[in-house]
Amino acid sequence: MFRKVCLSMIVLAVLAPCLLAQSVDEIIAKNVQARGGAEKLKSVQSIKSTATMSMGPGIEAPGVLIQKRPTLARLEFTVQGLTAVQAYDGKNGWQIMPFMGKKDPELMSADEAKEIEENADLDGPLVDYKSKGHQVELQGKEKIEGTDAYKLKVTLKNGDVQTIYIDSESFLDIKEVTKRSVRGTEQEIESAIGDYKAVDGIMFPFAVESGIKGTDQKQKLTITKVELNVPADDSLFKMPAAAPKADAPKPDAPKTDPPKN
Amino acid sequence: MSNRSRALFVCLLFNALFVTAQDVTLDSDMISGLPIRAIGPAAMGGRIADIAAVREGGRLTIYIGSASGGVWKSVDSGTTFKSVFDKQPSLSIGSIAIDPQNAKTVWVGTGESWVRNSVSVGTGLYRSRDGGENWEAMGLPDSEHVSRMIIHPKESNTVYACALGHLWNSNAERGVFKTTDGGKTWNKILYRNDSTGCAELAMDPQDAGVLYAAMWDVRREPHNFRSGGPGSGLFKSTDGGTTWHELRKGLPEGDLGRIGIGIAASKTSRVYAVVEAKNHTALFRSDDSGDSWTEVNSSFNVSGRPFYFARLAVDPKNPDRVYKPGFFLTVSEDAGKSFSAAFSASEGPGENLHSDMHALWINPENPDQLLVGTDGGVYQSLDQATHWRFLANLPVSQFYHVSFDMSDPYNVYGGLQDNGTWMGPSRAPGVIANRHWRVIGMGDGFWAFSDPADPDYAYVEYQGAMISRFRKSTGEAKDIKPLPRPGEPEFRFNWNAPIHVSPNQAGTVYLGGQFLFRSRDHGESWDRISPDLTTNDPARQHQETSGGLTIDNSDAEKYETIYTIAESPKDANVIWVGTDDGNVQITRDGGKHWTNLVKNISGLPANTWVSTIEASHFDPAVAYATFDGHAGGDMKTYVYRTADYGKTWTSLSTPELNGYAHVIREDLVNKNLLFVGTEFGLFISIDSGAHWAQFKGSLPNVAVRDLSIHPRESDLLVATHGRGIYILDDLTPIRALTPEILAKDFVLLPSRPSVLTLAASEQRFDGDSEFAGRTLPEAAGIVYYQRKRHIFGDLKIDVSDEKGNLLTSIQGDKRKGLNRVQWPERAKPPKMPPAAGLVENEFAMLGPQVQEGTYTVKVTKGKDSYSSDIKLVPDPRSKSTAADRALQHKTVMQLYDMLGRLTFIVDSTNDLRDQARQRAASATDSGLKDQLNGLVQKLEDFRSTLVSVKEGGMITGEKKLREKLGELYGGVNGYCGRPTQSQVDSTGVFQKKLDEAASQFQSITGPALQSINAGLQAKSVEPLKAMSREEWEKKQK
Repeated sequence: MFRKVCLSMIVLAVLAPCLLAQSVDEIIAKNVQARGGAEKLKSVQSIKSTATMSMGPGIEAPGVLIQKRPTLARLEFTVQGLTAVQAYDGKNGWQIMPFMGKKDPELMSADEAKEIEENADLDGPLVDYKSKGHQVELQGKEKIEGTDAYKLKVTLKNGDVQTIYIDSESFLDIKEVTKRSVRGTEQEIESAIGDYKAVDGIMFPFAVESGIKGTDQKQKLTITKVELNVPADDSLFKMPAAAPKADAPKPDAPKTDPPKN
Repeated sequence: MSNRSRALFVCLLFNALFVTAQDVTLDSDMISGLPIRAIGPAAMGGRIADIAAVREGGRLTIYIGSASGGVWKSVDSGTTFKSVFDKQPSLSIGSIAIDPQNAKTVWVGTGESWVRNSVSVGTGLYRSRDGGENWEAMGLPDSEHVSRMIIHPKESNTVYACALGHLWNSNAERGVFKTTDGGKTWNKILYRNDSTGCAELAMDPQDAGVLYAAMWDVRREPHNFRSGGPGSGLFKSTDGGTTWHELRKGLPEGDLGRIGIGIAASKTSRVYAVVEAKNHTALFRSDDSGDSWTEVNSSFNVSGRPFYFARLAVDPKNPDRVYKPGFFLTVSEDAGKSFSAAFSASEGPGENLHSDMHALWINPENPDQLLVGTDGGVYQSLDQATHWRFLANLPVSQFYHVSFDMSDPYNVYGGLQDNGTWMGPSRAPGVIANRHWRVIGMGDGFWAFSDPADPDYAYVEYQGAMISRFRKSTGEAKDIKPLPRPGEPEFRFNWNAPIHVSPNQAGTVYLGGQFLFRSRDHGESWDRISPDLTTNDPARQHQETSGGLTIDNSDAEKYETIYTIAESPKDANVIWVGTDDGNVQITRDGGKHWTNLVKNISGLPANTWVSTIEASHFDPAVAYATFDGHAGGDMKTYVYRTADYGKTWTSLSTPELNGYAHVIREDLVNKNLLFVGTEFGLFISIDSGAHWAQFKGSLPNVAVRDLSIHPRESDLLVATHGRGIYILDDLTPIRALTPEILAKDFVLLPSRPSVLTLAASEQRFDGDSEFAGRTLPEAAGIVYYQRKRHIFGDLKIDVSDEKGNLLTSIQGDKRKGLNRVQWPERAKPPKMPPAAGLVENEFAMLGPQVQEGTYTVKVTKGKDSYSSDIKLVPDPRSKSTAADRALQHKTVMQLYDMLGRLTFIVDSTNDLRDQARQRAASATDSGLKDQLNGLVQKLEDFRSTLVSVKEGGMITGEKKLREKLGELYGGVNGYCGRPTQSQVDSTGVFQKKLDEAASQFQSITGPALQSINAGLQAKSVEPLKAMSREEWEKKQK
């Protein structure tokens, strides 16, 4: 859900819509440039994003995502004072889901860990896609909700397929559709991306609306703060051992911030 | 600056200056962002034209080709489906073929071949190479109807198209076509004449060079259907279609009609054909690969209605077992000698399965598994057609009309092709499910109206004006069709005979035959208030003999009848009538005198079917009319307006319109706002028809047969013929659109007052296999228009109350054009302390509903801001008084604040505990360490009185102050009216407990801190400090 946080970018030079046929790599280069340039992106070692998630009528959850190179990610969100954790340690995804009365960390299945795994790619899949083992295909130009966009089909190394729509004027990512196979069944998650703002010279989207494609169940993620290069110890991303005693009152899940209700 | 660049600059400046308001016209992108709700239903299906399926990765992938609702794909054997063809120009499907070499390659021929009177038209061939995600047009755009696609089993680029061609007139793009280059070029390899096309094509499963083609000479006209003629015949090729010869030995003499073919895959010399001949249709069998034929069966279901049922399916493993989809599904186990009775496990024929079978798929690996496509959807059998499961997840219902009642929520009503008449709610808790719909009429349903004089009754009808008055509370129905009195001729009624309810007088209802009938007493008696208003040409009145080789007298070709009626809402004496043979008639004295106006309409071909007349809501002299010439082969869109009682007419047709026109409606509030439904979609004009824009969004390019506007809710109801009913909620913002607004960068638009909907929920565990229609979100809509997509900077909406207190901030939607952002009419959820689990009450998750009143909306868009008001009104269904609601609000806010206070106490307890723990961990003095640990223990004990702490995976049953208070909050929050006395009293009890908890915290920490802090200070360690409320508040922000 925080997927877009890492798709960072810079204050762009105004780029006129290019009417000429463009290659995949040209479009990606322009996208990277629009986000702030490769050098700037590479200088970021970690990103901390603070956000609010609206998950339906009158339900809101504050949350924090920390991403760290090379491929670490930790997401926390709080409902009714209960803080859930999903994290990726570079190999495995794990989570603490305290809502049903258990606060033990649990390993996530490989399919279900894909989202947090993809969040752990700080630069987003387009940057260095070849060396990451992804494939990108330009599927032409398409109107997305009335706006011309380049359609990039990104086949990730883990098998997920992301269709990324790059606005033909700003060269920023305005929409993504992620197709993910969960136990052999395809799930399609659609995200609208926007409210780009510069943080230390890199453009970040501050608004993402996501949902299962074709339904009206949408989740709105509003990012309130993006901080770069915040210290984050590697242990934050490692799955802690299960607490020993079941009956004893237990401290709440370790937090990077005080709980915010 | 060079001269050249200066010239360019001037040119650009010129352009910039002259892009004025007049130049901005409504386009599809501007309006399509408003959500439109598909409410289904899928309780009944619609007609299914073809089914294809393939095993992919151990699972069954199914493609359903619906007659007018597109292609639906399932990758889980039919548990769930998604539509994959919505963006293509036509949603009428003829045939689907899956490449045997690559299951991701799928070909679709558009335009169904079950060419009944209401059939749609296709736009050619399409191919997807990614399992239906993306499609490309592959030619034969003029083929109109495609009966079969076949892909060569070994060579993916070799594809055959069996194209029926135009139904309503002559054309040349028909017959059998072949490509060997993947669709780049097509060769017409079998052609007979310009009224004969291909009705069936079959390839020998053992030898791809052997093809059988059924050629069919067919023509429809509005008043006649002809199946059969000299062009028909059964043909065979043994060289992949290069040469053909006619198969005739043993087949009937004379002209033939439609022919269906079935080859036994397990013994391909065995070929079956169902052949229509003059007044005799029968099953023929060949055991020598078609060289000679023997008639084997002409039983009822084998021979019935040959133009409509013309497929045969041979069991892939048993050459003697052949299924005949027809009125029912029957099967022969003895190579056609005898056929079973209609399949039905428990009841009479048709009782458990919709009649009228068109498509049948047999699993080649397991012939016990069948899928059948009927006039009423798809059924699956796993026991060789003995028992059937209805797939209730295909919303392909084919509505003809839509209307509404004034209940709250209101119901929609409408009749469907071969699926009766239904009513269903416009909204329901959670989803509008199939179970919320009710069938209130039978047969082919058309017009239906709730009786404004008594809402317990509805007028419903089936084909040929079989009108009845249905009583909803009991289910009884009284036939009220007018019958000829002495001296009166036989009445002629259209297949889809118009019922019209007077907008001026409750209880008055009209019915159109060749005469106009009016009843003032709910149909108990009828007055004939017109002469024959049609052309009344006897040469075009022979329904009884229509059909060609086989009589097909279903009322579908009943012609020279009234098709549309409109009483002026401004003057009950002004009545407009349109006929299927092209007359537009008016009376201005309640039916005493009539004038035919059609000669005043220029640019309209003679006898073009009048599909609607809409009388203006503002001026009795104004009316709108649509004309539909498709039944004569004329596919143009005809829309006209008159402002002088029909003396002169102006065409409102523009190139933006597409498809033959079914309906026009004028808005009830803004007379410049018009809606048109055509065979290919919904079109909107905000400038009286000068320009049109197609509404797209989640509405596919489906036939829009009728439109209706709910006067109370301002909703546009859309009757689609193929995708059920859609609701475009609240036209208020569209009513406000003007060319000037379209030229602006950003404008906040008005909405109807939002109802604070009574909280309702319904527990259901339905699984995934049923369609779920979208309901109205319980939220206030905030609508704005922006000229371009928003990309940079904030787009957020702050909502404040009348006193200026900020209630919430909502993320704005980004798209170009109209956006509707939903504000859930609730404050933020209450704060709660951490504990062992969630509070078990769904309303404890939600913030309190806000109160009725006017709220300020401030939109921040980058550096600009815009403000407007929205009005929230109580639910009119509420039985609560304003005082009740005020008490509810007061109580829920009290509990809300109490939960905040509890959270503060628990947070400060935890904070102090953590401080003490930390000091204890580094303490060297054992006395101090013990003191600190003692405090930790006391705080933990105290905490466990406030919140649940037992971790047992949800069912510990532990309820402490947090859980009890949370449940009380949820209970009060979940009902929008007076809380019970018990709840009010309990709020007081918990208030006291909170006070006690606060003082207990003081008594635990007060003396302990003094003593511990003294010890800590002696060691120069920072003292413990309890968090203040102010500090806590600050952390919450």
